[in-house]
Amino acid sequence: MNIKRKMRKSGLTIIIFTIAIIYFFPILYMFMSGFKTEAQAVRPALFFMPTLKTFGKVLGDRNMFGYLKNSVIQVSVGTSISLLLGIPAAFALAFGQFRKKETNDRVYLWFITTILLPPVAVIIPLYTSFQKLSLIGTPWGLMIVYVGFHVPIVVWMLHSFFSDMPLEILEAADLDGCSRLKQLVHIAMPLVKTGIIASGLLVAVFIWNEFFLGFNLTGNTTATLPVYMARFREQQGQFIAQLSASSAIAILPAIILGWMTQKSLVKGLTMGAVKG
Amino acid sequence: MKGIMVIKKKSDWPFLLPAMIVVAVMTQIPFLLTIVYSTLRWNLSRPDLRIKFNGFKNYSYFLKIEDIRHIPEFYSILWQTILITVSVLVICTFVGFLLSLLLDHRLPGINIARTLILGPFFVMSTASGVIWKTTILNTTFGWYGVIADFLGFSPVDLISYYPLLVIIFLFVWQWMPFFVLVILAGLQGIPSHLVDSMKIDGVNWYQSTFLIKLPLIRNHMQVAVMLGLIFIIKEFGLILVTTAGGPGTRSYTLPYAVYMQVFNASNVGRAGALATMTVILTLIVVNLLYKSIKKSGAMYE
Repeated sequence: MNIKRKMRKSGLTIIIFTIAIIYFFPILYMFMSGFKTEAQAVRPALFFMPTLKTFGKVLGDRNMFGYLKNSVIQVSVGTSISLLLGIPAAFALAFGQFRKKETNDRVYLWFITTILLPPVAVIIPLYTSFQKLSLIGTPWGLMIVYVGFHVPIVVWMLHSFFSDMPLEILEAADLDGCSRLKQLVHIAMPLVKTGIIASGLLVAVFIWNEFFLGFNLTGNTTATLPVYMARFREQQGQFIAQLSASSAIAILPAIILGWMTQKSLVKGLTMGAVKG
Repeated sequence: MKGIMVIKKKSDWPFLLPAMIVVAVMTQIPFLLTIVYSTLRWNLSRPDLRIKFNGFKNYSYFLKIEDIRHIPEFYSILWQTILITVSVLVICTFVGFLLSLLLDHRLPGINIARTLILGPFFVMSTASGVIWKTTILNTTFGWYGVIADFLGFSPVDLISYYPLLVIIFLFVWQWMPFFVLVILAGLQGIPSHLVDSMKIDGVNWYQSTFLIKLPLIRNHMQVAVMLGLIFIIKEFGLILVTTAGGPGTRSYTLPYAVYMQVFNASNVGRAGALATMTVILTLIVVNLLYKSIKKSGAMYE
């Protein structure tokens, strides 16, 4: 019985790991190819003499550096503003008082429905007005669009975290004459810290990976990494090593952030949806 | 008495308004403008033609069937969009559920396996498209070519012969991790005394999986399917870098067709009509799905 169970266990482990490694293989192989020279990368192979030359070349490339910088600006400033607007809004929707009682629910639902809106719904007027206002050449236009698209996600995730908070704490603070802003900053925000971090990281990953808006609303000097990656699409077999090294740099931050947040990500997503 | 009055009158709009204004200006107003544009004759490459109102002409351009032998392209694009979305959702839900069952075992190193499978979800779609296209699916430079050589058959270019299958496959690869993430969380939330009592009662695998576990994680399945649908229906980058909609328009989806109308045909009016129809269809599908989920939920309770 015991031996049979152990056999079953190790068999299961082997099956699971085989599936996991095959599933992850394209990403794994891409990281490996980044350590090849172009000549080595032409023919697929798992064993080779690794070199740092390709990574060095890609990182030293001013082109690549520009895209990287643009992505970092969009993610850092865009995520910060999304949180800055989203946190108070989620707080007010969970605890705020308005003249009409149903305001909280209505506005919350309104935020949720905007998550459903696909970017194609907005791209045409944004594109034509960006052209007119010459916002294509600056990062600010795209950034404010990103904020508009990601504030609802922050609101949605944080609303469920705030709703889990005991109301009594805020009521006590209210009686003590503590202002709403102080209640938010000193009492509520520390209590939902994990939620804030999770939603911030999720928004950061979304903005880092966003392609459709970034592709259509940026010019040569403002384009982000996903746009850069798309430019490799015409090449057949040339520069595979360079392509792999660039992709490795482009996807590594998102993968690490994603792995770090997976637990709170599930919590935020499922709690928000079950209650909404 | 006075104190209570003050609390009651307190209004928290200042916390809410900035967020609402930005969201409205960046999402709702542009959408309303898109609907307005859809009724205009407006071609960016023809500034000589004045922009003018032309009613529903942009819509009828896509929808009107004048001759049964020449059905407008819109219908095949619509069909492709539905086919891709539904297949991806079904495969992701079903295989994702099975994979989650496998990953729900307590084994040494299981967290590493979970982490590896989660990986593709966080990869930007353009990068995963380019990686698959060049290092895996390419007939001479990719693993597909090497394996075909090894097995002794000559590889066909999958991307041009089976564009839809390739797209469905890549979408599944990218999005199944998300389904696994959510469904696995549901499975792990099942109280351990339930699992133990199932073992004691001698319930078989089929019964414990589909009759006990599945109803228990219904909420998580719903979240996975709803969010999956919202994400998948707007995917664009993966198509652009792999098949570029081709050959011809055989792997176009509605978002891709909107993009081509604005940026290739420069036809703002027609693109507006197409975008409006895309949004309406998305909302209808999401609504239908939501209702059917609610219904099946009522059945369980």
